[in-house]
Formats: sequence, structure tokens, C-alpha cells
Amino acid sequence: MKPISFLLLLTLSLLGQGCVREKVEIPAQVAGLAPVYFEGDWKAVQSEPPRPIGRLYKLYYKDGYIFAGESQQGIHIIDNSNPSMPEKVGFIRIIGNSDIAIRGNVLYANNLTDLLALDISEIANVRVLSRVENAFPGLAGGSLPEDYVGFFECPDPNMGVVIGWSEQIIREPQCWQ
Amino acid sequence: MFRNLSLIFLLGLLGCAEDNSSLGPGQSSNTGVGGSLARFTIVGNFLYTVDNSRLHTFDISNPAQPQARESIEVGQGVETIFPLNGLLFLGTQSGMLIYQLLPGGKPQFLSRYEHIVSCDPVVANAQFAYVTLRVSGCRQAVAGAADLLEIIDISNIQQPTIVASYDLESPYGLGLDGETLFVCLGVAGLKVFNVSDPQNLQQLAFLDDINAVDVIPLNGLLLVIGPDSILQYDYSDLNDIRKISEIPIGA
Repeated sequence: MKPISFLLLLTLSLLGQGCVREKVEIPAQVAGLAPVYFEGDWKAVQSEPPRPIGRLYKLYYKDGYIFAGESQQGIHIIDNSNPSMPEKVGFIRIIGNSDIAIRGNVLYANNLTDLLALDISEIANVRVLSRVENAFPGLAGGSLPEDYVGFFECPDPNMGVVIGWSEQIIREPQCWQ
Repeated sequence: MFRNLSLIFLLGLLGCAEDNSSLGPGQSSNTGVGGSLARFTIVGNFLYTVDNSRLHTFDISNPAQPQARESIEVGQGVETIFPLNGLLFLGTQSGMLIYQLLPGGKPQFLSRYEHIVSCDPVVANAQFAYVTLRVSGCRQAVAGAADLLEIIDISNIQQPTIVASYDLESPYGLGLDGETLFVCLGVAGLKVFNVSDPQNLQQLAFLDDINAVDVIPLNGLLLVIGPDSILQYDYSDLNDIRKISEIPIGA
């Protein structure tokens, strides 16, 4: 990079950072963190009947099935053996979930701060094989991870207790740090 | 003596098997496929995950009992992880980080390509990495910077070098199938490019009536995720990309 353009970029970036702090352009939609509201046993994982998809964030595909992550709630399982007629066949309730990966019949997922290994050979009756507790400690608790920089969904006290945070697409976020 | 030798031979075999699997491609037939915004990925006998600032390694050689291994600090604003040929590409807010997977699964820092602060997933093939830089709606980004698709030559993996960059409106996730690159543009839609000449991308299609956040190309079938729907397209004929189904999202 030429020295002049580097200086220009540096100046712009300094100016820019100053501006960003004072005046933030609110995006129409953006990936950020949203509070996970829950009261009760967030470690309870179970198969449930298919249900409408509320707020979606990520997809995962394996062997003719789409695994659609409903941010914070769990995973919709969609039989996609006929892509022109995909059919929801089940839901796995995993509180605070934001990501998964699958090998064989084992699905790995975060359950808020824990890592789960789930046997999904029977979709209507998934079983927790094991749990690595506190594998992702940064996402627990009522306050955001300190080192997080980005937009987040403002917590709504009417929604209940915030037990942690998970990623999702948020629209016109009003909070940031 | 003979017994000892055969034991050594056996151990040798086991060692080889482990090496192969830990350096194998991320998407073996038995492993599923995620989008470019994924933060979990499986390579060989290991599950790698990223959160805001750390890269975690879990040994899954016993699939039912993942064991936590290294958890390394990789810097702030880590957003995505993409595996290829024994490498991990991390998309972060300040650049693309490349880690090499050592035999035994441990990730070792290899190189970095820095760019303006933005939000940016990455996909790659053996020669090029494709990174989208989205500053619009990216909290960290510098005001006035552009939204870009950058193509980075990684044939010398120690020294990633930019070869081309293109202005794109608010790019999000992206997906690569051979020479076809799918780039999500949020509310602006989805663009499809032929990337055989990095200096001269050919736009093959522009689906401008959808809200696209991430894609998974599956050899002719494209899964598109947006906040409003899960869309599927048949792209077996790139001149005639057809929508084949839509699953609505939301009440």
C-alpha cells in the first residue's frame, strides 16, 4: 500500500471510529446477539412434533435432511428427499442453540454454554449421549460478553430472565456496544 | 520379536489412519454441510468451533463422547469457520486467518490476510479464497468504506495476496461450487458469478426479489436462507436457475 493512501485510510478510520461512536447507522438487518429468555431447566433437550419456524438463522444439510436452526430454541428437521416438497418432520428443543454439525448419527450442538452430542438416529426420540459443560463460557449470564463488539437485541424485561446470548439475524437493532 | 514387529506395524497403520482422517476434507460423505456463516465444522476426528474470540477443538474420535482439547485465543470478532484440505479459514472482523491442522488435530496459526474492519465470511478452493466484506450494518466498520467481494490468492498459503475486488451491495454469506460463486446480498437478493477468471467475474444470474443471508450449494441444488424463508433453487442449468420450493418463516 502506498504511504499516502495508508495515511488517508488511517485518517479516515480514526475519523470513522469517532463518528461511529456518536452516530450509528442502524442496519435493516444484521447478525448480532440476542438475549435468551428462559426460566426452568435449560438443559432439558427433547424431540418435539414439527412446528412453524419462527426466527431462523442457519441451515445445515445432511443426507436429504435440512436442519434449520431456530435461534435460541432448537432445530427444525425437514425431510428434503423431494426438494420441491420439503416437509417438516420434527423439532429438537435445545435452548440457547446457535450452531450444529453432524457426523454419522451424532449431532453436535451448543446448548447455551454446553456442547452436546445427540444421537439422532430416531428423530422422534433423540438422546443426549454426552455433554461437555461450560465449553463456551462467554455466552452465559444476563450481560453481554465484555469483548463483544456489535449490535444486539435490547433485552426486554417483560420477556423474562436472560440466561445468556445467542447469535441471530436481528432487524433494526437499537442496542450496540 | 515377531509379535513386537507386528505390533509396531499395527501402530504404524493406526498412525497413518489418524493422519489421513485429521487432514481429510471437511465434508466427507458421512459429515453434513453447513453454510458460510457456520461456526461449527468437523474435520477428521475433530470438531472445531469458533465463538467471539476463541477457536475450540473437540476430539470426537469417540463420537458419543466429545473431549474438549485446545481452546485458543484468535482475536476479536471471529465470525465464521471454513475447512479445506487440512486448513481452517476463519472469517473475522479484521481479516481472514488461516490455521493449519497438525497431525493430532491441533490448529496452528499459518497466516493472515488483513482488510478493513468489516463483517466477512469466507469460502475457498485450493487456489483462491473468496471473502465478502460488509460494512453496512457492521458495527465495527469504518464509515464510508465500501461493501466488497475480495478474491485472495492462497496458492502460497503463507502469503495470501489479493488479486481482485468487486463492489457489491451489502454482501452476507457466500457459497462456492467449482467455478460458480453464489453471493447473498441480504434484502438486495443473490448474485451468481462464474469465477474462472478472477480478474473478470461473469455475472450469471441476479435473483433480486429475495432476502438472502446464506447459501449451501449442493451439486445443482441451492439452499438459500433468509430471515423470511428457506428457498431452494435448481442450478443444474446456470442459464436457467429455477426456484423449486419455498418454506415460509415467521407467523
